[in-house]
Amino acid sequence: MAMPMRRTLLTLHRATQSNLKSAEASLDVLHPIPLLLPVRTKKRYFIPPAVGLKGKSEENPEAKARAAGIVFRQQYLERPINIACTAGIFDPYIPPEGDARLSTLSKEGLKQRTEQIRQSAASQLAIRKVKEHDSEFKTKDFAERAQEIFIEAHNALTQFNKEKLHSLVTERCYPEMTRGNRYKTIRWRFVESLEPPRVVHARCPDMVTKGNLYGQVTVRMHSKQTLAIYDRFGRLMLGSEEHSKDVLEYLVIERHLINPYGRWRLHGKIVPSWAPAKDPIIKTVIIPGPELKPGQEFDALNYEVPKPAAVQWKLGFLLFEKGFWLLRHWKQQVSLRMNKLPCPEANEAASFSTEYHTSLE
Amino acid sequence: MRRRKESNMATAMTGRGFIGSIYGLLQTRLPVLGGGPLQLSCLHTSSSLESKSWERRNLKVYPPQLPDEPRRPAEIHHSRRQIKYSKDKLWYLAKMIRGMSVDEAIAQLEFNDKKGAKIMKEVLLEAQEMAVKNHNVEYKSNLYVAESYSGKGKYLKRIRYHGRGMFGIMDKVYCHYFVKLVEGSPPRKEERTSLDQAKEYVQSLKSRTIIHSL
Repeated sequence: MAMPMRRTLLTLHRATQSNLKSAEASLDVLHPIPLLLPVRTKKRYFIPPAVGLKGKSEENPEAKARAAGIVFRQQYLERPINIACTAGIFDPYIPPEGDARLSTLSKEGLKQRTEQIRQSAASQLAIRKVKEHDSEFKTKDFAERAQEIFIEAHNALTQFNKEKLHSLVTERCYPEMTRGNRYKTIRWRFVESLEPPRVVHARCPDMVTKGNLYGQVTVRMHSKQTLAIYDRFGRLMLGSEEHSKDVLEYLVIERHLINPYGRWRLHGKIVPSWAPAKDPIIKTVIIPGPELKPGQEFDALNYEVPKPAAVQWKLGFLLFEKGFWLLRHWKQQVSLRMNKLPCPEANEAASFSTEYHTSLE
Repeated sequence: MRRRKESNMATAMTGRGFIGSIYGLLQTRLPVLGGGPLQLSCLHTSSSLESKSWERRNLKVYPPQLPDEPRRPAEIHHSRRQIKYSKDKLWYLAKMIRGMSVDEAIAQLEFNDKKGAKIMKEVLLEAQEMAVKNHNVEYKSNLYVAESYSGKGKYLKRIRYHGRGMFGIMDKVYCHYFVKLVEGSPPRKEERTSLDQAKEYVQSLKSRTIIHSL
């Protein structure tokens, strides 16, 4: 910047001088120029930050601090966690096959009805332990209380009242109930109870340390409910509001017995392996086809859609893609026949031509 | 009252700066001019730099539809922020795919030579997957691009050296890309031939009303 200015100044100087002393100017003598370097006075409002040159981040601030003698106390990264519920259902109840399928008048039906909780010794022990800690526990009215908790929890789920839901449902059960439901509308209604609920199973597991007791009680209830789930745009995804369904459920209610402020909360559901398939969703779903070797062709006519094995779900709530609070596992509900090749490119083409039929078991 | 306001303004001017004082002036003036909250709602209340309103449109929940209502088409909003590309260059691609079905748009972008095409294709595929997984769209090909546009991202500024010690501020350009997919087949574009346009023109001439004439 200074060099060109000096040059221009020089020529200016010479130009002015040439009128006065032409002889000196023609001799090309360099006279000392007065220091009149103009300085930029207008302020630049924005100068972009200098991008760091390559040799910048070599200093180690940690080493410097240590050399200077600064000592930091050791930081203990501790965070207390309060566990108020167990992680699963311990020693789950295996519901007998054909429960609620037989009428009470037949012989087998009577046998089932008379199978009381007194049969299982472990459950009796567990109930005795529970009564030690919770003096008001009675098997007879506990079942009704359990049903009330169930109804209130589901009503809170429809309104999505988080605080109430947390007080009625354990932390393990909460994500299972609510995953994927945040932007959906759920309409659930408890119509009536077909049979009085009763306690069928009880266990008192302890977590981590020996004395940390939790009580888990399984309650069987047979009732009529309506469920309708609408997606984000108000379109019906599953179920219907008018048709009610008879539902047989095994609820697990849990309480942290040692905690004096513990409450009986819904912990999970047991879905038996012989449970019938649910209604399918109102949507076509593509099931991935078999893996083919290159050159192998897909035989659509002889291909049978593989059915999942019937397993007892002690996790309880159903995670149907986005997670619905539903009764039985969804995998049995949709079976689909692919008319074209199962490879990914053809899947897109086949997406319009897939037939959709409900599974009938 | 006025004197106090003016003195306030003066102090504000010295403290913050000219623009800040004008803003303060406007703030004190506006409620006086209009009528309360209705007029104030025209001001931008949230700063437009960090508010991601496009993504928040995906969180809107509609009430359940009655059975006699026509089925509401699903709308999926997706965007990608701070793409290292120019917004003006990306606009051409965004304009190209407006109104196309998703498959067609993805195919066109796949064979386009521009840098933004690859990024846009990724965004469309992501949006398609999101639609099927989260927004209850039944067929992933049953979507079309309803809206697609590019926006300016936050630029980084660097120095570009010129001769004679001059420098310029170089912008490292970034852009955002927004796309909205709607369920259904793409809307038919009305094709108007030149003959139709000519006929319309003649018709408009014929239907003129002539006033103040015999």
